[in-house]
Amino acid sequence: MNIERMRSDVAEALAEVAEEPAAFADDDNLIDLGLDSIRLMSLATRWRAAGFEAGYLDLAMEPTVAAWAQRLEASNVLEEKR
Amino acid sequence: MSPIIENADVVVVGGGPGGSTAATLLAKRGHRVVLLEKETFPRYQIGESLLPSTVHGIGRILGVSEELANAGFTVKRGGSFRWGTNPVPWNFLFAVAPELSGPTSTAYQVERMKFDDILLRNAARNGVDVRENSPVTDVIADEERVRGVRYTDPDGNEREIHATFVVDASGNRSRVHQHVGGERIYSEFFKNIALFGYFEGGKRLPAPDSGNILCAAFDEGWIWYIPLSDTLTSVGAVISREHASRLQGDQEQALHGFIDRCAIVKDFLADATRVTEGVYGELRTRKDYSYTNSTFHRPGMVLVGDAACFIDPVFSTGVHLATYAGLLAARSINTVLAGDLAEARVFEEFEGRYRREYRVFYEFLSAFYDMQTNEESYFWKARKVTNLDTTDLEAFVTLVAGAHSGERALVRTFQAASDDLAGAVERTGSMQTTSGERMHHLFGTPVVREVMAEMNNIQVRGVQGEAARELPLLDGGLVPAPDGLSWADPAARPEEAR
Repeated sequence: MNIERMRSDVAEALAEVAEEPAAFADDDNLIDLGLDSIRLMSLATRWRAAGFEAGYLDLAMEPTVAAWAQRLEASNVLEEKR
Repeated sequence: MSPIIENADVVVVGGGPGGSTAATLLAKRGHRVVLLEKETFPRYQIGESLLPSTVHGIGRILGVSEELANAGFTVKRGGSFRWGTNPVPWNFLFAVAPELSGPTSTAYQVERMKFDDILLRNAARNGVDVRENSPVTDVIADEERVRGVRYTDPDGNEREIHATFVVDASGNRSRVHQHVGGERIYSEFFKNIALFGYFEGGKRLPAPDSGNILCAAFDEGWIWYIPLSDTLTSVGAVISREHASRLQGDQEQALHGFIDRCAIVKDFLADATRVTEGVYGELRTRKDYSYTNSTFHRPGMVLVGDAACFIDPVFSTGVHLATYAGLLAARSINTVLAGDLAEARVFEEFEGRYRREYRVFYEFLSAFYDMQTNEESYFWKARKVTNLDTTDLEAFVTLVAGAHSGERALVRTFQAASDDLAGAVERTGSMQTTSGERMHHLFGTPVVREVMAEMNNIQVRGVQGEAARELPLLDGGLVPAPDGLSWADPAARPEEAR
């Protein structure tokens, strides 16, 4: 799991909800761009399968790639320490 | 005279939401399914408040979303509670935040006569052989497994259907469940009685909460207030079973007495009149409704919905538990009939998931009751988790076998869940305030996270269909197949890790 995978999964999810999905920056609020609760739940599950333990609520509270990437980095650091 | 004998893959007993769900999802895989319903639909039923996973998850999987949307049911965005320390009602909303309140973050209040009928007709459209006015009289079994059922057809003929599986979804009053073995264990904690009726002209909470269920605590219990239409309201008092004798006399007087002692409901019903004619004209009671069977299956037979377990009306979990079990049963039977996995393995998954769902809601609802503090009240003092009855805990420990290390640890678990929930409710604050619109405190408590886990999976499944991805819920457990209608062993498909 890395930030590139994160960006491409988000792009895929946005393509499902928006007719013409806009390009997004890492600090764009993804809910404003059309990401909904179902898509967030789905991303949380896919990423958990890839070893990134973020829940739906965590993603919903700070809905930007930047915030999620930070969380991912923290969880990877934790993983390495183990 | 010997009975008329037929054969089928599966016999489903009962045409409520659990039975209809199981039957439809079995028929979708092409199996021959006969559904036997003792009454003729539409018929009255209680349990009118639904949760989003039933509407947007199960509803879509069954293919009835549009029909439900066009049925004119009241839309609820959550529950409003006059409960706990806050004298003002607070909201438990389905959307975590206003900006995330999409079409899937609502549910319906339903007249069960209409809702159950939609689900049953849909089962028939999907190929289920639905037979109403057909009460099941016996279960056919030998030492190895259950083999079918006997029933009486509308003309009074005795008939037999031999089948590979029998799904018992025949509700709380039927005795069919006894054929699965084990025993029915009643909960001491939720040992309540409900007395309920219907009113015309009751007030509504201010928009956008006007469709919400309102649950309001008072000294002797609590009252549900469910807006079924703009004018029709379902009102029920949940009180201690010790008051049973009071319900022997004038029930009308008893219900009005409870309403008079519950300020917010009294005010809402000030100008309302009780419906006294037609299907809603009767006052009804329910007692001993909180129980679980010690086992949910045996070879050839499985229990679904109230035939298996029921907790309490407070958080609208009845139809959820029933339809969820219907989905699990269909997945399990479809897997066995396809020859994919052994019966023992898939029913271990069935029982494990169903028990887990029962357990997390049991914990959540216990915490909910614990939140209401009223030192003067016998009802509320008896419903503190620290007073959980020993027999209740023993039953519970048996059910979650191995998950807890004994009664003390279990009381601590319940107490922690309750403290978390009470704290979150306090931080969330009153309804229709800035904080009261945001559910992250409530959704963040461990008990609510657990309660949401499978409901979220079902919603994602409903919306995304085959694109939905699910992880094993239980250690070493199974996952749904791509179409969501059977089980697959994830260990057998390691390449699908992504």
